[in-house]
Amino acid sequence: MQPALPPAAGAEDFAAVLRRGGLLANVPAVNAHGSITPTDATTILAFKYADGVLVAGDRRATAANQIVYDRADKVLEIDRHSLMAIAGVPATAWEMARVLEHSFQFYRRTQLQEMSLDGKVRALSKLLRDNLGFVLQGVGVVVPIFATYDSEAETARLYFYDAMGAQFEATDFAATGSGSGAVRAVLHFENSWGGKPLRKLKADEAILLALRALETAASSDSATGGVDRRADIFPIVKTITSAGIETLPEKRMARLFKGKLV
Amino acid sequence: MIEEPYRWVEAIANRREYIEHQLAVGSPIVALSYADGVVLFTMSRERQKVFEIYDRIAMGGIGHPGDIERLRLAAIELCSTEGFARSAHDVSLRRLANYSLSPALKAAFEQVYGAPYLARLLFAELGRGDAPNLFLRLDYDGSIQTNGGNFGRTFEEWGVVAGTKAAAERMERLLREEEVTKAPLSHAVKTAALAWSAGHLPLAEDPEAKPPGREELKKHLDAQLAQAAIECAVLERSSTLPITWRPVPEAESRALLDGQP
Repeated sequence: MQPALPPAAGAEDFAAVLRRGGLLANVPAVNAHGSITPTDATTILAFKYADGVLVAGDRRATAANQIVYDRADKVLEIDRHSLMAIAGVPATAWEMARVLEHSFQFYRRTQLQEMSLDGKVRALSKLLRDNLGFVLQGVGVVVPIFATYDSEAETARLYFYDAMGAQFEATDFAATGSGSGAVRAVLHFENSWGGKPLRKLKADEAILLALRALETAASSDSATGGVDRRADIFPIVKTITSAGIETLPEKRMARLFKGKLV
Repeated sequence: MIEEPYRWVEAIANRREYIEHQLAVGSPIVALSYADGVVLFTMSRERQKVFEIYDRIAMGGIGHPGDIERLRLAAIELCSTEGFARSAHDVSLRRLANYSLSPALKAAFEQVYGAPYLARLLFAELGRGDAPNLFLRLDYDGSIQTNGGNFGRTFEEWGVVAGTKAAAERMERLLREEEVTKAPLSHAVKTAALAWSAGHLPLAEDPEAKPPGREELKKHLDAQLAQAAIECAVLERSSTLPITWRPVPEAESRALLDGQP
């Protein structure tokens, strides 16, 4: 056989390249276990504040009623200005984040231009739709939040998705996962009657609110970790501003959380 | 006919002559190490000639734009799929060139009924940690020339491609006299520009001819700077992200060239 280069890619997207190379997981054809209830046991939240957008997620990973890991990172960096936060099956979600990250870079390198914001938002939607087979099998449901900074409009943008890939742009906040009901209630209350709308919050106020909201979710939802005071494990909190992504150090969160919560 | 061994050798020789003739007009490309990584430099009037391939790999090419584009996309795809399936650490220029690109170029070149790739490529890979940078020239017939370090050859902190062998040799002679590794970017860009000028200067292809002096090179460079665009990019060791590629904007490269030493 002659050594050959891969067929000319042209404008092909990276997911298609992976599929051609057999590098994407195939949807199982048979559900051997009968019906499995889809779970999205976790709590993810994101809201816009004065400097940009804040994304936070608890650290607990569960399997049925077992806690399997208490240091999971569910807020994933996709590029310099984009975060994807996930509730759902970690294997599928992390794979999705990996495909997404590589897709954006592949696009930039082959097409010699950055993918547009709409293009990026749509790319995640397409991955979710392609994952529908897994969702129907009950083994791969993923419900993400996508946050990014729109450098043209100089504003943060926030999107949430359903498991089938429909995308919605959130004006102020979004939450997903098993504890999202409580978080949504907290954020809605704060935004409407909390004295200051979320968009006016300073960085420290925003971080404290995120920690408190997750703690509220954890108080009633066993699948959400919240703040683990004994082991000093804090949720992952990241912010996106015009300067890029910042991961908040645990020390700063501890100072804020312990200082204010008497 | 071509099935006879002699005819085949003749056909290959004709083909080589044809490709060399096509490549001869290409504007040279220089890549060299500097204090914070690798700088790639060329000047052009039409299209982009220096590209990002992966986190730590860059490519420049002269030849037919269609063929360069084809090879560029193949290189990006090979690196990206390896980086996705394993990790970014598993992507290496050595493997990309030796196992994928070189055999494909050789096969296309020697299939005398098919079209060869009209391309001469220069790759640069930023070394990890203390590892040295790799510069690699890949020719249309699949032959590879690296910046040495093995087999008794002196290690070189640079790589060049040019339209003709004589032009490349003039550039190499100039670079051999320079101490480049610890130099700041401004010095590296100046050196690269001078080397580019040495490769671009239209001279008789006579190996006995006296090499052009610095003044002559500088004069030619200034004349070209007035009418062509600078294309400059760096792979930066100090990058905080895994991606090290940074295109240097035209204004910045001109400022670097004009700056005092």
